[in-house]
Amino acid sequence: MQHVIVFVEHRQGQTRKITFELATEARRIADALGGKACAVVLGAGAAQLAEQLKIYPLDTIYVAEDGDVDAYLLDPNVDYLQAVAQRIGPSLVLIPNTLSGRDVAGRIMVRLSAGIVADVVDMHVSGGEVVCVSPKLGGALITNCALRPGDYGVVTVRPSAFAAAAAGSGAEIVPLEKPAKSYPAAIERDVEEGIGELALEEAPVVVAGGRGLGGPEPFDTLLKPLARALGGAVGASRAAADAGWVPYNLQIGQTGKTVTPKLYIAVGISGAIQHKVGMRASGTIVAINKDGAAPIAEFSDLLVVGDAFRIVPELTKLIDTAKGHLS
Amino acid sequence: MKIVVTVKLVPDPNAEKRIDPQTKRIVRTGVETVLNPYDEYALEAALQLKERAGGESRVTVFSMAPEPLKETLRKALAMGADDAVILSDAGLEGSDVWASAYAIAAALRKLEFDLLIVGGLTDDSSTGAVPGALAEHLGLPCVTNARKVDLAEGALEVERETDVGYQTVRTPMPALLTTALTFGEPRYASLKGIMGAKKKTIAATALADLALDLPVGTGGSKTELRDFAPPPPRGKGQTVEAADGPAGAQAIFDFLQAKKLV
Ligand SMILES: Cc1cc2nc3c(=O)[nH]c(=O)nc-3n(C[C@H](O)[C@H](O)[C@H](O)COP(=O)(O)OP(=O)(O)OC[C@H]3O[C@@H](n4cnc5c(N)ncnc54)[C@H](O)[C@@H]3O)c2cc1C
Ligand SMILES: Nc1ncnc2c1ncn2[C@@H]1O[C@H](COP(=O)(O)O)[C@@H](O)[C@H]1O
Repeated sequence: MQHVIVFVEHRQGQTRKITFELATEARRIADALGGKACAVVLGAGAAQLAEQLKIYPLDTIYVAEDGDVDAYLLDPNVDYLQAVAQRIGPSLVLIPNTLSGRDVAGRIMVRLSAGIVADVVDMHVSGGEVVCVSPKLGGALITNCALRPGDYGVVTVRPSAFAAAAAGSGAEIVPLEKPAKSYPAAIERDVEEGIGELALEEAPVVVAGGRGLGGPEPFDTLLKPLARALGGAVGASRAAADAGWVPYNLQIGQTGKTVTPKLYIAVGISGAIQHKVGMRASGTIVAINKDGAAPIAEFSDLLVVGDAFRIVPELTKLIDTAKGHLS
Repeated sequence: MKIVVTVKLVPDPNAEKRIDPQTKRIVRTGVETVLNPYDEYALEAALQLKERAGGESRVTVFSMAPEPLKETLRKALAMGADDAVILSDAGLEGSDVWASAYAIAAALRKLEFDLLIVGGLTDDSSTGAVPGALAEHLGLPCVTNARKVDLAEGALEVERETDVGYQTVRTPMPALLTTALTFGEPRYASLKGIMGAKKKTIAATALADLALDLPVGTGGSKTELRDFAPPPPRGKGQTVEAADGPAGAQAIFDFLQAKKLV
């Protein structure tokens, strides 16, 4: 492993902070390995996004604005990524640890005969070897896992684990050739549902609601104003998503998103283990729950036992008032 | 239609995982081994598709696991799978994701199927990389996070969850699917199912049957666990009983202000 390749996830050229975090981290690791830092941007909007990435410390940005990338499920992405890896030679591939990032990772691992470390929150190079820090068993264990010497390695990286810093000197943009291939899994429809203004994984504050809210309306009338006052985003437990109160992409936990905000406020959430693994690494955890014996008491910094419907509006008022005094 | 479902056997997810501070190993005593919950959803999807396809349809469950855990697979048979295959071998011990996926793929190559359904994640390791890896090894189209599947002539019409919403995807068979939990809650085994499961076969295979080209186990792994430790303890915080809404709000506000979070 000598170079570092960042796989860029985006929709129509719109990307998330993780891309910039990976671009920044790629430079650091590439310097330690004595190689180049590159990124691969594919599909509609790739050229425009590549221009935007130039302010990050990358050497080369490989681009393919190929319609197949958006018309077929992941296969074209994997082909292009493989082509880049083989073109530049032994390298470490960094992929966001997201739903589709995980799919790309499992596949490119086989294409490149590479080892993989998943859900990485820190990385360093020692003695030429890449060593990754990753929480396992739902965060009950923090592991140090090395990629053994070999040509290629794959790492999926947890969003918000690394800082992003623009420090580019103008990466070279290199167009990729279209592979002469046909693909089996055609995307017939692609629907976006209620994405928040702020991506959950990037929000400095998350206000999450659970079954205790009793229906969809309190997410709008209670949680949104509180999240807005704190400059944060709204999330949910699986119970709330299963009930259809919020879309699944707001779900936090083992089958949803992993978040690490400075402040996590759990409202009417009991704190089941599958929920806990998605938020336990948050800076400060505050819970509002009617039940003082709810499991969330065991891992929150403050549990206020009381009725969310009475507490949350008052809290929003207090915060808004305090902000008013400051401005 | 022939369907194969992969099932990992994992420690009970509801048991809090603890590390013995002396041995630095996971405490397994008193923790039951169960079917990985995500694979129960995969099995539920397989059973629903079998019922819909009718005819000579069959569901086979496959697991790579130590031989003594074999009987745990009866639960899958009781739920309605027709038979099971278990790959066990001391030579598999210490396999990482790469080595496990390589061995599982080789074992699956010996089975005949139109559809391979894989769980989305494992509760104990949660890499989510195995499905994509199996698709590559086996040369199958790979459609993940399915919440609804319609059978069309030799093809599948799949509705799948994405990070931002959902997609519909059409794929020819044979194919690999993973299921989202929204596919449907796994069924309970009926008493009849439990009785019937006792007579169903669990076939055993070992590495010698697979004639692998590459090594597996610790030696064949491409990653190496160096060390591990529990995260810094997160002390149990304070609990405040709120007399009313304003009192509760004030308690939170004061706490946040003390932490400079507002
Ligand atoms: C394979 C698998 C994967 C899963 N993945 C996830 C996942 O990713 N994320 C996830 O969240 N869950 C997940 N779950 C589900 C998880 O086990 C729990 O069922 C779920 O988290 C419970 O959600 P909840 O806390 O909102 O509901 P409940 O457990 O029902 O808790 C509701 C809480 O609200 C409180 N409450 C009620 N009324 C009020 C009020 N007026 N004011 C204040 N408090 C009130 C109650 O005291 C209670 O503690 C998964 C389960 C399985 C089996
Ligand atoms: N040892 C195993 N035996 C059978 N299936 C497995 C095994 N390991 C992983 N799988 C399958 O791969 C899925 C994803 O696993 P993972 O990528 O490890 O999170 C699981 O839900 C299983 O269906």
